[in-house]
Amino acid sequence: MNDETKKQINERYEKQLNKGERFWPDTIFRDLIMSVGIFVLLILLATFIGIPAEPKADPSDTSYIPRPEWYFLFLFKFLALYGQLPLIGKIEWLATVLIPTLALGLLTLLPFIERSPHRHYSKRVLPISIMTVMVVGIILLTMTSEVPTVAEDGSTLLGTLQTISGIVIPVVAYILFFVFKNNTRLMLWTTGLAATAMIILSGTVLALAPEKEAEETVVATTLTDQITAGQDLYSIHCTECHGDDGSIAIIEGVEGLEGEKITPINSRDVLYTITDASMIELIAYGRPNAGMPPFGKTYGGELSKSEIDYIVAFMRYLWDDRFEAPVIKPLFPPLADGEVPSYDVHIQPIVKRYCISCHRPGKDNNNYLMTTYEEILTTGDHAEFNIIAGDENSYLLQTIQEKIILDENGEEIIGVMPPTKALKPDVVDVFLRWIMNGMPQTAADAATLSTTPSP
Amino acid sequence: MWKNIYLWLDERIGFNDLYKNLLDRPEPKTNWWNTLGSASLFLFILQGLTGIFLTVYYTPSPDHAYDSITYIMEGVAFGWLIRGIHHWGATLMVLVVFIHMLRVFYTASFKYPRELTWLIGIGLFLTTLGMGFTGYLLPWNQKAYWATTVGTQIAGTVPFVGEFILKALRGGPELSALTLQRFFAAHIWIIPAVLAALIGIHLYLIIKHGESHSPTKED
Repeated sequence: MNDETKKQINERYEKQLNKGERFWPDTIFRDLIMSVGIFVLLILLATFIGIPAEPKADPSDTSYIPRPEWYFLFLFKFLALYGQLPLIGKIEWLATVLIPTLALGLLTLLPFIERSPHRHYSKRVLPISIMTVMVVGIILLTMTSEVPTVAEDGSTLLGTLQTISGIVIPVVAYILFFVFKNNTRLMLWTTGLAATAMIILSGTVLALAPEKEAEETVVATTLTDQITAGQDLYSIHCTECHGDDGSIAIIEGVEGLEGEKITPINSRDVLYTITDASMIELIAYGRPNAGMPPFGKTYGGELSKSEIDYIVAFMRYLWDDRFEAPVIKPLFPPLADGEVPSYDVHIQPIVKRYCISCHRPGKDNNNYLMTTYEEILTTGDHAEFNIIAGDENSYLLQTIQEKIILDENGEEIIGVMPPTKALKPDVVDVFLRWIMNGMPQTAADAATLSTTPSP
Repeated sequence: MWKNIYLWLDERIGFNDLYKNLLDRPEPKTNWWNTLGSASLFLFILQGLTGIFLTVYYTPSPDHAYDSITYIMEGVAFGWLIRGIHHWGATLMVLVVFIHMLRVFYTASFKYPRELTWLIGIGLFLTTLGMGFTGYLLPWNQKAYWATTVGTQIAGTVPFVGEFILKALRGGPELSALTLQRFFAAHIWIIPAVLAALIGIHLYLIIKHGESHSPTKED
């Protein structure tokens, strides 16, 4: 750029300044409105959307699908698509290093690459076209980043469409830009057509993409939620051996561990001498020599890091007398006279606390599973007798009221439930009312069945 | 009394010069797209302030990071708001800086005499991404842990020096307490210091050359 051009540019700028505004107050005023707007937007986002709760980091959880920050998703998707290309797809560093470095390098050195002194859009069609295709590509790759490249049934249709939209079209467009170098009209047409094709293809991909199931991970954030979650997990995984209050010293009724002597885990000996960290490790690794299996995912168990934390919080706050337990919500809202309980509100939390420990897959339970509403009504070796609407002789009601079920020869087929400790009368009452009134699932169904007693 | 203090300060600082050089400058006609640079600066300051509050309670160790964040969200008065602003502010800052860069590109504001402003701007863009990348790990939750795992893995594919970069980022072959510690140091000291210095140069250059005008047919 020679001095003459520079002088012209500076003169034009002077002219614009003369027609312009003052930094204070004109420019600053608009800047302030923008900043205040952003501030308000942030407060609204923080208040009404907040930050989704996430479970604690768990390096052993290999089932977790790793995903980068949202602003790197386009690069991640690009890498996934690039990996599908024949031949060059195998050379990983081409896509992870060379292409990003090249793009970034071009962007950085832009003032020295685009050396023409012209600033108006009509004189910069080539750079604007290149950038536009790039930006459209980045936005579309980000939007389609959740769509798998290989569908569950093995079809690669979605992957192919994405590769065409994310790699093939941009590359073709870039080649055409340099072919049409001197024809701005053709360049603009190429940009428009490429962008439209990419948008249509990505739209198709998004429309065809399989519905993503919302993953449900329970993340307890408040202390009371953590303690309740811990108690539920404890009743599923630990009660069989340790009892629901941790007081068991000799294991009864557990196959393979019958008569095994253990230290009651609610005792001071345990709670005062084992720190949270050791307790967490103990639950994760178990005590294989003493018969306690590992529970942490790291060692092949079922519990994540967060879940073990919850169990320890439960043990501390409810058993350790140095800790003061916060007020904890009752397991289910108490029933008024004539009120009918529902599965959702009453039965589910009760079953989770007292029954699922054994009545889930992989346990000795006459194949009677209780993890969902349907299972409770339809599974088990004695499915037709377990729960009969309006019948007090339903096996479930008999066994929880400490009656043994005998077959025609007088042999016991089902013992009392739960085997170790009888349910409290109010819990039995919930089951009674539920079955006698036809096992409503939702609170709304239950409400229509409820009667208000006349005074 | 106040007048005397003002006069004493004015003698030493020179409010009038400040006003003339910083505020009372002519500018070409600007529009809403021109506010994005100052919006980025505003977000940087906001992130700094909320970030300082967060460090009061945050503990950068794998054993306590997650719990300290839970405490900020549940136990500290307005902790949820401060962290909410910091969280969304980070997202918005990346977005605003990126759009600001696009604006500069499309209006060709990076041309003479503002080439250096552009170079510094690229530095600002990269450091902003660096802030996002290092900050993302700090809550030490599943999302953070695995995002950083893949992020550093990508850096590890560089030919020849990839393994060195990977180990330097993670402080070892695996993500560990060291990774968290150095990401924390980078997030609250190293990168912000670089960012602040670059912002200073960027602002000086903007005041020196003035904001560019929207390109006209003549340009």
